[in-house]
Amino acid sequence: MSVARKALEMTRAATEAIVQRAETRYEAHRQEILRSTDRIFAWLMIGQWIFAIAVALIFSPYGWQGKVKTVHMHVWVALFLGAAIISLPVALAWRRPGELLTRHVIAAGQMLSSALLIHLSGGRIETHFHVFGSLAFLAFYRDWPVLVTGTVVVATEHLIRGIVWPESVYGIPNPEWWRFLEHAFWVVFCVSILIPSCRRGVRDMRVMAERGAELEALSENQWRNSSVVDRAAADTRGDR
Amino acid sequence: MTVDTNVEIRKGYDRVEVPAAGGGKRSLTRKQFETLPLRERVSYLIEGNAQFFLDGRPISASEAMRT
Repeated sequence: MSVARKALEMTRAATEAIVQRAETRYEAHRQEILRSTDRIFAWLMIGQWIFAIAVALIFSPYGWQGKVKTVHMHVWVALFLGAAIISLPVALAWRRPGELLTRHVIAAGQMLSSALLIHLSGGRIETHFHVFGSLAFLAFYRDWPVLVTGTVVVATEHLIRGIVWPESVYGIPNPEWWRFLEHAFWVVFCVSILIPSCRRGVRDMRVMAERGAELEALSENQWRNSSVVDRAAADTRGDR
Repeated sequence: MTVDTNVEIRKGYDRVEVPAAGGGKRSLTRKQFETLPLRERVSYLIEGNAQFFLDGRPISASEAMRT
């Protein structure tokens, strides 16, 4: 095999190895972000569940039928519906962190947690802020389709609940039929800014990984040049 | 000890020349170079056949890669 051909093959092999390592670094960084965000949401959802139970206990602990005092339905709703909403996302976050399904289930669960809090607060407009905070937290994943899942779930939930039980979501019995569209508009407004931000975050991770590859390539070149110099020096010594 | 506050802010490179497919050289802006496939950029750097420039002045690859 000629020296030129051997050198070409060495360059190809080194290039492949460096590109592969860059891809591995990028994927490892991405997985680290996905997994840590899954864990954040697992704890957040447990915290929200406890908070929802506390809200129900503080604001509507008892119901009255004449002189008969019973535990208010809201307490049971917070306890059991809340547990049902968070159980799958939390289980997936612990058992299957970093997987695509996990973060989409978490996005849906987080929006349903918002819905539960809105219901428990009697449709208070201020509790709707929870939706926007949740979208911002979902952006931690830097995976924009997760935001689409969250948007679809919250818009659908508002539409259905707005028809079936409008007081539960808007706090009034007869809102305009299009009220859910107004809420959905502001969600889309928020998401339309978060999506480019997520894409930029992914691009930055890619650039970091590629930057590392370029530096490795440079180091490889310097190593080769120094080897050539060493060989030339050895040859010179041998000639003497 | 005194600190030199006139340290030049390193800018990396703004232009690069790489081998053209049909022989000769092709000149690329930094942005054009950075959008080349990583495999191609890496092979130029390993082979040492990318010449970097800053403000029209040729600079070494290691200087170019500082920023």
